[in-house]
Amino acid sequence: MSDKKYWQSFGELNNSEAYQQAAKDEFKEELPFESADNGFLQASTPRRDFLKYLGFSTAAAALAASCEMPVKKAIPFVNRPEDILPGVANYYATTYVQDGDVISVLAKVRDGRPIKIEGNTMSPITQGGTSARVQASVLELYDTARLRFPSIDNKEVTLEAIDKAVAQGLGGAVVILTSTVTSPTTKEVINQFLAKYPGSRHVQYDAVSYTGLLLANEATYGKRAIPTYRFDKAKAIVSIGADFLGTWLSPVEFAKQYSKGKKIDEKNPVMSKHIHFETVASTTGSNADDRFLHRPSEKGAVVLALYNAINGSGVSGISDAKLKAGIEQAAKVLSANKGAALVVSDSNDTNVQIVVNAINEALQAGGNTIDWSATYNYRQGVDADFAKLVEDMNAGSVNTLLVYGANPAYSWFDAKKFADALKKVKTTVSFNPKADETTQLCKFSIPDHHYLESWGDAEAKTGYFSLIQPTIHPLFKTRQWQDSLLKWSGSTTDYLGFVKAYWSAKLGGEAGWNKALQDGVIVPAEAPATGSAFNSAAVATATGAISSAKKSDGVELVLYQKVGVGDGQGAANPWLQEMPDPVTKATWDNYIIVSPAMAKSLLNIDLTNNGQADAYEVNPDKKVVRVTVNGKAPVELPVLIIPGTQANTIGIAVGYGRTPKVGKAAEGVGKNVYHLASLNGSAIDFTASNVKLELTGDKYPVALTQTHNIYDTSQGKRVEVMKELTLADFIKKPNEIREDREKELAPYGGLEKFEKQATIYPVYDRPGIKWGMSVDLNSCVGCGACVVACNAENNIPVVGKEEVARFHDMHWMRIDRYYSGDIDNPKVVFQPLMCQHCDNAPCENVCPVAATNHSSEGLNQMTYNRCIGTRYCANNCPFKVRRFNWADYTGADSFPDNQRDHISDVTMMMNDDLTRMVLNPDVTVRSRGVIEKCSFCVQRLQEGKLKAKKDSRPLNDSDVTTACAQACPTNAIVFGNANSTESAITKTRQENPQRLFISLEQLHVLPNVNYLAKVRNTVEEADVAGKKEAEHA
Amino acid sequence: MHLKYESQLREPLVYGDKTYHQVTEDIVRPIEAKPTKLWYVGFFIAVALLMFGVYSVYREVTYGIGQWNLNKTIGWGWDITNFVWWVGIGHAGTLISAILLLFRQGWRTGVNRAAEAMTIFAVMCAGQFPIFHMGRVWMAFFVLPYPNTRGPLWTNFNSPLLWDVFAISTYFTVSLLFWYSGLLPDFATIRDRAKTKLRKYLYGVAAFGWTGSTKHWQRHESLSLVLAGLSTPLVLSVHTIVSFDFATSVIPGWHTTIFPPYFVAGAVFSGFAMVQSLMLILRKVFGMEDYITLGHIEAMNKVIVLTGSIVGCAYLTELFMGWYSQNKYEGYTFWYSRANLFSPYGWSYWGMMACNVISPQIFWFRKMRRNLFVTFFMSVIVNIGMWFERFVIIVTSLYRDYLPSSWSVYYSPTPWEMGFYLGTFGLFFTCFFLFAKYFPVIAVAEIKYVLKTSGESFKDGMDNIEEKGSEEFAHEYAH
Repeated sequence: MSDKKYWQSFGELNNSEAYQQAAKDEFKEELPFESADNGFLQASTPRRDFLKYLGFSTAAAALAASCEMPVKKAIPFVNRPEDILPGVANYYATTYVQDGDVISVLAKVRDGRPIKIEGNTMSPITQGGTSARVQASVLELYDTARLRFPSIDNKEVTLEAIDKAVAQGLGGAVVILTSTVTSPTTKEVINQFLAKYPGSRHVQYDAVSYTGLLLANEATYGKRAIPTYRFDKAKAIVSIGADFLGTWLSPVEFAKQYSKGKKIDEKNPVMSKHIHFETVASTTGSNADDRFLHRPSEKGAVVLALYNAINGSGVSGISDAKLKAGIEQAAKVLSANKGAALVVSDSNDTNVQIVVNAINEALQAGGNTIDWSATYNYRQGVDADFAKLVEDMNAGSVNTLLVYGANPAYSWFDAKKFADALKKVKTTVSFNPKADETTQLCKFSIPDHHYLESWGDAEAKTGYFSLIQPTIHPLFKTRQWQDSLLKWSGSTTDYLGFVKAYWSAKLGGEAGWNKALQDGVIVPAEAPATGSAFNSAAVATATGAISSAKKSDGVELVLYQKVGVGDGQGAANPWLQEMPDPVTKATWDNYIIVSPAMAKSLLNIDLTNNGQADAYEVNPDKKVVRVTVNGKAPVELPVLIIPGTQANTIGIAVGYGRTPKVGKAAEGVGKNVYHLASLNGSAIDFTASNVKLELTGDKYPVALTQTHNIYDTSQGKRVEVMKELTLADFIKKPNEIREDREKELAPYGGLEKFEKQATIYPVYDRPGIKWGMSVDLNSCVGCGACVVACNAENNIPVVGKEEVARFHDMHWMRIDRYYSGDIDNPKVVFQPLMCQHCDNAPCENVCPVAATNHSSEGLNQMTYNRCIGTRYCANNCPFKVRRFNWADYTGADSFPDNQRDHISDVTMMMNDDLTRMVLNPDVTVRSRGVIEKCSFCVQRLQEGKLKAKKDSRPLNDSDVTTACAQACPTNAIVFGNANSTESAITKTRQENPQRLFISLEQLHVLPNVNYLAKVRNTVEEADVAGKKEAEHA
Repeated sequence: MHLKYESQLREPLVYGDKTYHQVTEDIVRPIEAKPTKLWYVGFFIAVALLMFGVYSVYREVTYGIGQWNLNKTIGWGWDITNFVWWVGIGHAGTLISAILLLFRQGWRTGVNRAAEAMTIFAVMCAGQFPIFHMGRVWMAFFVLPYPNTRGPLWTNFNSPLLWDVFAISTYFTVSLLFWYSGLLPDFATIRDRAKTKLRKYLYGVAAFGWTGSTKHWQRHESLSLVLAGLSTPLVLSVHTIVSFDFATSVIPGWHTTIFPPYFVAGAVFSGFAMVQSLMLILRKVFGMEDYITLGHIEAMNKVIVLTGSIVGCAYLTELFMGWYSQNKYEGYTFWYSRANLFSPYGWSYWGMMACNVISPQIFWFRKMRRNLFVTFFMSVIVNIGMWFERFVIIVTSLYRDYLPSSWSVYYSPTPWEMGFYLGTFGLFFTCFFLFAKYFPVIAVAEIKYVLKTSGESFKDGMDNIEEKGSEEFAHEYAH
């Protein structure tokens, strides 16, 4: 009963095959297509599969598309950290320390990121001045090439593991090899460590050492130290090769001092006199009142001749008439300014420096322009010590080598010998922050913090301390090397505790420490300058050695440092690589500098021939020459013709040809030439004689930002561009420049009415604020600090060598350099040039979309998102200060990430997430296809105005300054509200009516930037007198 | 309807004793026939060039103007050179159709259609450059003053570039209307002869329902005159305004009051040369020797030698002013950057002088004016010379201006920069080939106006001359 079967049809009853099939089918009826062609269901993609595929592919496409979308992480703070206000910058006093260089700075920190370095005005040494390298140092914090973790044989390990491994290797003779250490606490730490490992020693190694100077001072003053130089007190300065405004010892400090003697009070014009003797054109030589050229091998002879001349016996042993006259003139000027005269030399020859000391003694410099009460700590290395270390290592008597800062595998003249010697050292540890040449050879690597992540201190000169405090949590798994030493010497405190304890004890507890940290500097009481007892015994031997030195023939070579790259520290920094060298205006390469005379004989280029000069200038491809020195590995480099170089001398910059591991910026840039130096006695000699030069027939592009260097043309001298005159002329006829301007503008109403009468348009009142800038060409030394400061402040992209060679550089400000006079040894003038913010700007009226316009405060403003990129404004700018985004240099474009093959790797690297942390959030990052230019740092102006407004007071000078003015070590740039009677800009303009000029004034573009003409304390050559006569005729 | 005096001496405007029907046959048959092999080859080359141009522009738009070799000192180079060059070429068409119409120059009918087409295509080519020379071409609409949501943001009416926008677009519109209104009766003719439905439909639509009624003709004539009247000032204004791009600036070599007339003369000069080049090819390829006669060629050569001499005068005036003004910046630009053969761009200045001033003087000789080979060669030379002229004005002024510190490195174009230029040739010839295939290249209706003006009596007269010899004829004629 229960299994009774009910059925609906016979089919079901019989359960036939056909019935079973039909029951399985979804549709009982015959489907139409199935009968026609069975292919549909047999197709490779039946309906359901099709739907599956559709779903999958849609999901995949959506997924893939969303993976491409950049995910921007913006995580707000749950609790706001103390002291951090979003959008408001904090400034922390710290210290830039790079090898031996010490400069007190303030780090601007926005939302936890240091983004800009400013000088610390409380430092009595630099007084707020900075250099290009200091300005660029913030970028190194975010360098993608920094080592990110400790490693053993390039394998990542933990700090604990490496500590353990190193501890096993330590023992026996440990050598700590560092660049110059200026930190007192670090010296303590080192001493503690050395005490733990008897037989150990600390060797300081400077790539470009001051051995000669140190040893000479030891010989004559009994102290292996360098005294403080007071260029500000010197009325007569003679430098024999010392590039003290560019690279020698303490350029920021010296530039500041030097500019004091060069600033002119128009009512009472007095200037210091600077005579420079040099071999290859340098920044300092370019600024000198008079420059004389000599062969490198003659340096001793020049110093000796000067010594003799000052002592009353005539100049002898100098065959070149101009040089001889120069020495006589120098001796005369120096003797006339006894007690206010200073002679410096960069020679690394102890004998030469002894004679220089003797000259300074004869000039009573001690206690006046040379102050022994405080001595510099910047450079303490003696080459002989390092040479001995290499010998010891080779002999196998060094068990452990700890390297910090030093990089002899790159910069030692016999790097291979060092590298081989290093192999004989059992335990090698490098604390260098990057995988530089030496670190690559070391077994252990424990990268150090960047200085902006570090604690520490530095003693620039005796008694003048500067503290280092971190401005950001360490980005990577790095450790301060002092911590390693402390740990390995068994100390329980860390370095922060050590520093704090050290200074708290000295400064009277925690409060003193906090105050010092806040100020950043610890300044001793002002002490009167003192001399030092001079021991003249060594002088006779020195003069004897110099006069018996062989005279050399043939071409001589000088290795020099560049302002940006230095001895190689700047090579991996894109900002420094792209900063035009002050002397050559070249970027991204080292090259051979030759004189116009040698260019004629060697390259067959005659610069006095317009056609040949043009061909040389307009083509970035320069001839390549092979340099062979005493059978050493030859170097092939392109040649630049730089007037102001001795006829038979060539110069090559060191610091190039670095390993690509220190950064993309160093990859394939220049050649290393350290091996062309030689060890001469106890010091490295950076010159060589009997150099063979041969053309290879190749050409190599050098990226120059300025190709033409003289402002007189076959159609007349462009004195509206640049005005310079001699001090004598200025005293004789102080209003000459003003009269020239008056004459030029006479047809348009003269100076007074020029603005109104030279136009058919109405002239408007300009009430309220009117921004203005004044640049004193007398103070500007062309160092380039402002250029890099502008880069950092305004997010200016790095475009890479190829783009610079195509004249696509993006710098908002440049330093134009002009030559005048003798082509072999010209006078040089530097002119910082940024947007002139013309009140009648030719760029403004030509823009079809009004993307650039004038503010009521006199700013020529650029509206990036309105710009369509016709470049008409750039064409119509008589100063050519507008820059166009030729490619997507910033990664800000509407076509993302398509530039890989079109812009340089360095530019790509600058757009890396890490590197972009350096960007200033107050400044728009410009996209491809728009024009940009100097804005007078409008973001700072807005900030300053707001500050004044919040305080309900009128704006004053301390509220605003531009990045360039702030960075300038010589205060050449003055910025402010020209409508205020109180402001520095107004005062500068009022106090300098005679020297004031406006570039291209006759165009009636009415710039808001003015220049103060260069006055040179020199006796002008005959041709100027001739010119004057011609004018009167 | 043309009651013109039939001169015995005047050459006929159309050779070959054509009847009205023959004219229609001659001109319209190529449209109805299959294209020749030569047409295919030419068209393919033109399209290939166009594609290369499109790729070049694609690169420039996607990767940036850095695909070109312009730099911080030379903001304009080949781009604006080519723009001015094409605009200049686009002048002849309107001049021929409008001014010569107003002056009742009957000979214009043989060449006006093709010349106008050339104008339109040249202006199309020209327009590409100011558009694609923008760094952000996708924002190009910012130059249009239209009511927008961006508040008071408006275009800058002070900018000559904005004047360009209006000048070029006006010129293009008027030229296009003028050209098209002339085409109406001819389209109607083709429609009436059409054998396929499609052809009938398409040409019918294009003919706007033209029936040839007297009312149509009357309106057509009036419209032509009105448009001619409108175009005539445009011929002068367009290049004047283009010259303002330079003349209103502060750059030595640009800031020159002579520019407007000098540019207009140059434009007519290059435009006629381009018409010559095209006509000579066209009459050969389509066998139109009877319609585009030596008389046309000679007349145009006369215009070429006249305008060439005018620009020559302008060049010399500039040089004179460079010295006479005693302005050292101008002096340098004119006498060193340009006139000094050994300065970096001296070659371009002397290339310009040789092509534009010296070589056209050959047309003082009647024999040369009527020599086809010389004419063709010279027409190409003149256009090369006029390209040099724009290059000289733009690049040699910019590359060394006021501050010697910003003087530029040598500028030479990248393949993509040249590719853009070649691409506009592609565009031009693609359009022109399509035009030659589908449009009547000679104005059928208009040529019929002038068919009877001189032909028969000239022929009779010339027969007499040939029989009698010229002296005898002259004697007879004098009596």
